[in-house]
This record gives sequence, C-alpha cells and structure tokens, in this order.
Amino acid sequence: MPDHVATEFREHEAEVRPDEPFTVTRSEDGRWYTVKGYCPTCRVDTVFRVSYGVLGPPKRLWGRGRRAPEPLTGDIPVYCQCGYPHAERPPESPDTGCGAFWDVPVPPPEPGAAP
Amino acid sequence: MRCLLGRAGPASRAGGGAVTDIAKKRYAQLGQQLQYDQLGTVRRQAEGWRNGLAGLTGLVGVVFVLKGRESVAGMPGGWRWVTALLLVLAFVLLLAGSLGAVRAANGQVGQRVWLTGDRLLSGILDEVERTQDALSTARRLSVAGLCAIVAAIAVSWLVPVETSASPGSSGPYVLVNTTGGVRCGELVLADPEAVTISTAGKKRWVRIPAADVRSVTPAARC
Ligand SMILES: [Zn+2]
Ligand SMILES: [Zn+2]
Repeated sequence: MPDHVATEFREHEAEVRPDEPFTVTRSEDGRWYTVKGYCPTCRVDTVFRVSYGVLGPPKRLWGRGRRAPEPLTGDIPVYCQCGYPHAERPPESPDTGCGAFWDVPVPPPEPGAAP
Repeated sequence: MRCLLGRAGPASRAGGGAVTDIAKKRYAQLGQQLQYDQLGTVRRQAEGWRNGLAGLTGLVGVVFVLKGRESVAGMPGGWRWVTALLLVLAFVLLLAGSLGAVRAANGQVGQRVWLTGDRLLSGILDEVERTQDALSTARRLSVAGLCAIVAAIAVSWLVPVETSASPGSSGPYVLVNTTGGVRCGELVLADPEAVTISTAGKKRWVRIPAADVRSVTPAARC
C-alpha cells in the first residue's frame, strides 16, 4: 500500500494509473455507487460515493415498491477526498483532498446482477 | 453551490498530461453537495407545489362562490344529488391532496431511522422517494378534486331551474310576521299604511297596519 504523498493542493485532472484501477461497486438496492482506489496524485486510497438523486425523473406511475434506478453508464468523475492536509489548499475550498480529479469508467452491469 | 461553480480555482494552470476541465470537478462537487442537500431540495420543491395547489384550489373555490348557483334549491332532485356528491367528492379529494402536499413538504410525523451514516443515506433516499410519491399523489388528487368542483359548477349552471312560480293552486302566499304573531295568506295589497292579505280561501281580507308588520316573506303554502 503506497504511503501518502504530501503534494501541494492543486486542482488538476489526473490520469488513472493502469496498474491501480479503481473498483466501482453498486449498492445492493442499486441506489448508489462506491468508487474505491488510490488517488493518482497523492497515492492514498480514497472512497467516492455517488447516489441516485432528486434530479432524476419519476419512473413509475402507480406501482409500489422500491425503485432501482437504471444502472449508471459512462464515467464517474471522481475527485480526491483523501482527508490529508495538503499545502496551499484555500480555506474556503470544500475539498478534503489534494485537488486531483479523474474519470473512472463504470463497468457494465453483469447479467443476473441487480437490475 | 453557485459560488462553488463560479469560483475558478487555482487550477487554470495547465497540469501535466491531461487538460484540466475544472467544470467537471465543480459538477462532481455539486453532485456530492446535492447528495447531502437533496432532502431539503425535495422539501422546498414540495413546498412550492403545496402553495401552488393551495392557490389553485382557492381560485376555483372563489369562482364557485362567485359564479355558482346560490343554492341547489331550485334543481331537480336527481341533479341536486349529483351536485352534492360532486362537492363531497371534491372536498374529500382536495382534503387528501392538501394533506399529501403538506406531508410532502414537511415530512411524516414520527418517522425515525438509525442515524448511522449508511442508514441515514438510505433513509434520506427513501424519504426523497416517499416525498416525491406523496407529492405526485397529492397533485393527482388535487387535480381530480378541482375537476369535481368544476363539474359541480357546470351542473349548477346547465341544469334547468324548476319553474318555481307555477300557477294554479299553490298561489304566491306570504308569511307576515307581526307584533301579534305570524299571519299567512295571499297577498292582496301592500301600501304605505298596511299590508292586506286574504286568508281562509280568499273569503276574508285581513288588513295589517304597517306599524305592526315586522317582516313579509314569500311562502309556497301556509
Ligand atoms: Zn492527499
Ligand atoms: Zn489525492
């Protein structure tokens, strides 16, 4: 496991290292994704969650029961939330990481998994 | 959120390798922010809808009061029932709709959840879904209730009035409330001095001095 690298805070788009791919897992009820991996810049594992939110259109008319939203496709833009202090981070910044961000492709849902 | 989007960070410096698209990160940050704010967002949305539905209901109610028939008294019996049923239906629908909208805007009383992070996240997602359900149900109920009110207005406009002044045996009687009691009969004459009515099958004329008359009301029979 790599140690944390105390880089200066800088908002920049980083490249994901091919040897350290990110895992994208969908929750059991299908309503959020968890992206886990090592920040390409500050080299520490970071977790990013994306939930299904309010801007989505209502999908059913009268049926009852928990809706599982349609699976996410494409990329999830992820930014570093390593939690370590990084120099030069502006105090008003909502960031909790080194400022790096990158795209993580969502793996296609395997057949037989949650719809 | 807006300031989050508006602030161009120190990232305008070109990074090594990939071109930095800071908007992508701002939207990712906005998305994370919305995850925490979404219940509030939905509640505010529901509040707006609740106010809109209440306004709409009030508007149609005012139209009903101003333009509807004053009473259902002159209507044929069947239509009277239809109007009454429509109004009761409208009341029930609008009541349920208003309660649903209030519930959507303010949440269910007494709902609790373990406040661990995970439970809270799924609790919030659940509540967002329930709020949206309650809101869309409230919307449907309100629209149905408004339609019922409008139908009641239409019925009261279109159904013909039963001819009230039917000639013949049931002549236009008057009830004269006097200081000495109530007299009833057919109106013969009313002048500044007295009211004259005929009672007992037009055989007797009774002259009531105007000073004694408290009120004169038309009546179908005595
Ligand atoms: Zn870091
Ligand atoms: Zn980092």
